[in-house]
Amino acid sequence: MNKQHGYLNLSEQKQQKKLNLQSWILTAPAMLWLTFFFLVPYLIVIIYSFLTPDIYDIRFEFSLESYRQIFSGTYLRPFLISFRMAFLTTILCLLLAYPVAYFIARSKEKTRNTLLVFIIIPFWTNLIIRIFSWRIFLATNGVLNDILMQFGLISAPLQIMRTDLAVGLVMVYVYLPYMILPLYSVIEKIDFTLLNAAMDLGANEVKAFFRVTLPLSVTGIFAGSILVFIPALGAYLITQLVGNQKSLYIGQVITYKIKNIPRNWPMASALSLTLLLIVTLLLVGAYLLWLHNKKRKF
Amino acid sequence: MEDIRIEHLSKDFGGFTAVDDVSLEIRSGELFSFLGPSGCGKTTLLRMIAGFEIPKTGRILIGNQDITELPPYQRQVNTIFQNYSLFPHMTLFDNVAFGLRIKRTAKMEIIEKVRYMLSLVKMEDQSSKYPDQISGGQKQRIAIARALINDPKVLLLDEPLAALDLKLRQHMLIELMNIHDAVGITFIYVTHDQGEAMSISDRVAVMSRGQIIQQGPPDDIYERPTSIFSAYFIGETNLISGEVTGIEDEYVQVKCDNGAGEFFEIDSTFHFHPNIGQKLTLSLRPEKIAVSRFKPRHQDDINILRGVIEDILYLGSHTQYIVRVGKLKFRVFSQHKRVYFDEKALDWEESVWLFWHDTDTWLIAEEVDENGRNQDFSTEAPYHRALKRSSPGSE
Repeated sequence: MNKQHGYLNLSEQKQQKKLNLQSWILTAPAMLWLTFFFLVPYLIVIIYSFLTPDIYDIRFEFSLESYRQIFSGTYLRPFLISFRMAFLTTILCLLLAYPVAYFIARSKEKTRNTLLVFIIIPFWTNLIIRIFSWRIFLATNGVLNDILMQFGLISAPLQIMRTDLAVGLVMVYVYLPYMILPLYSVIEKIDFTLLNAAMDLGANEVKAFFRVTLPLSVTGIFAGSILVFIPALGAYLITQLVGNQKSLYIGQVITYKIKNIPRNWPMASALSLTLLLIVTLLLVGAYLLWLHNKKRKF
Repeated sequence: MEDIRIEHLSKDFGGFTAVDDVSLEIRSGELFSFLGPSGCGKTTLLRMIAGFEIPKTGRILIGNQDITELPPYQRQVNTIFQNYSLFPHMTLFDNVAFGLRIKRTAKMEIIEKVRYMLSLVKMEDQSSKYPDQISGGQKQRIAIARALINDPKVLLLDEPLAALDLKLRQHMLIELMNIHDAVGITFIYVTHDQGEAMSISDRVAVMSRGQIIQQGPPDDIYERPTSIFSAYFIGETNLISGEVTGIEDEYVQVKCDNGAGEFFEIDSTFHFHPNIGQKLTLSLRPEKIAVSRFKPRHQDDINILRGVIEDILYLGSHTQYIVRVGKLKFRVFSQHKRVYFDEKALDWEESVWLFWHDTDTWLIAEEVDENGRNQDFSTEAPYHRALKRSSPGSE
């Protein structure tokens, strides 16, 4: 730091110090908050994962038992189920969100805000209430089945509740706005005369989309996918409320380890950390890939 | 030949008529300009030729092919957009190669053609850069290369130099002319800048309110405007209303009201046959009028008026005098050539003589609208200042 500013004269150095102090004071509350309520709890989770479980609590004895179990593949199934669902949710959200985001971004300035409000309105209702309304809608004698039977499309009620289909439907419903908003913000910034230019150069609408619009919205696709994939991976509420107890998702497994007696705090901690590790590796991998592409650019 | 024929083309946007029954013929290989103020329909006309707008009525033909309703990607027409519209996610090479890749041209051919195009616009050493790494002038070159690589029959240029600074603009203008000579295809150039249009074009169409007011070679439009609009819009001019009082051979005498209840007579030649008593407008270019404090020797073929200098604007290459004759104000440009007028600089409120040759008075068979109705301009000198500077000290 000092070396960096070695060329500054005395008064400039004072100025610099003042600026540094200012930025420290301004960021301190957030720093403290994150330290006490994020960093410290995470350290506790890390420590817990290396301890030994007791029936209700833990014993302070070092153990690698939890990790041994995880890496021997005991929990491979919930991990795979969660990843598959998170992946499908992300893809579906992307396919559904892109046209919506595109449509909003290309509509008139006034209508844009109205449409965005419509996207945000669901957030005004509590998530649990929204999931319960899906339960009523999808139930065996629920609204959907009633309607389908009324029109004679089916003869017996469909079993949708408590299936992976129900989980998928609700997941897409809940996470769709998280995909639409970043996509919108990127697509909105695309200069649409570029599409004119592409068509002028011989590209029809489809080619112009795949060669110009899509590549230019990659950052939005990436941001939206992260915003959907990560929460979908750890989802607990949705899987618990509309899911099937026979196919447990990783979020449910972690909860049961703490909720059910005998409790296994170390296992829950180790599972959480493993999930975190996998997500981190994926993100770093994606970032490196992006960096690699960018380097090729310059 | 692949002439472009535009027949009775009209286009409106929600009740506003952007292009109003325009018919036009552009010859193959010509550099043709649409010139007019913003909102005159020149860009809409261009976009209809490019295929971005479908006209309400009328046809556009290239050679014998009717392209009126073809989508942009099926026309052998390419456009240089005002803000260049280079693809920001592609290298300059990929930008130029775009059209060929869409056509699935062989790889080797693409490389060869892109190299040739980049060398044509003198950008061969920067092909791996991205659009945000180069300057405005360079973007312009890439946009030209990207368009020309598709072998268009017509290149459309939509205010291509508007975003560049003055020096670069002059430079690119010459470069554009060189490129036009090198490729030999038709260029259609849209601009609101008369300087650009005059210097680059083979022919110019002056547009206003969706219609073509006059078309012809630049000098024709400047020297022989057929309407008040083209006289006023191209270059600067003095417009004076008058009434024909006498016709003799190729000369006509026009009586003009000086606004203060007095009349003076101006002689002119004519290019149409006016009638005695006809009301019309005289157009008098400021650079054709001489100004002097000495009365010129009387000649038959010059007009002489007496006035008072109201304002002086020093503009570097020339000085603009605003000379009051009665209530009329004449703008006069005087170049600083002491070999012609060896006299001390003229001063504010000084009484002067204005004189010019009869043939430099140009008659327009239109009347200046008294109320300013249907006119986009006033005939008042634009640089008039309310406050006069006190006389500058003598050097």
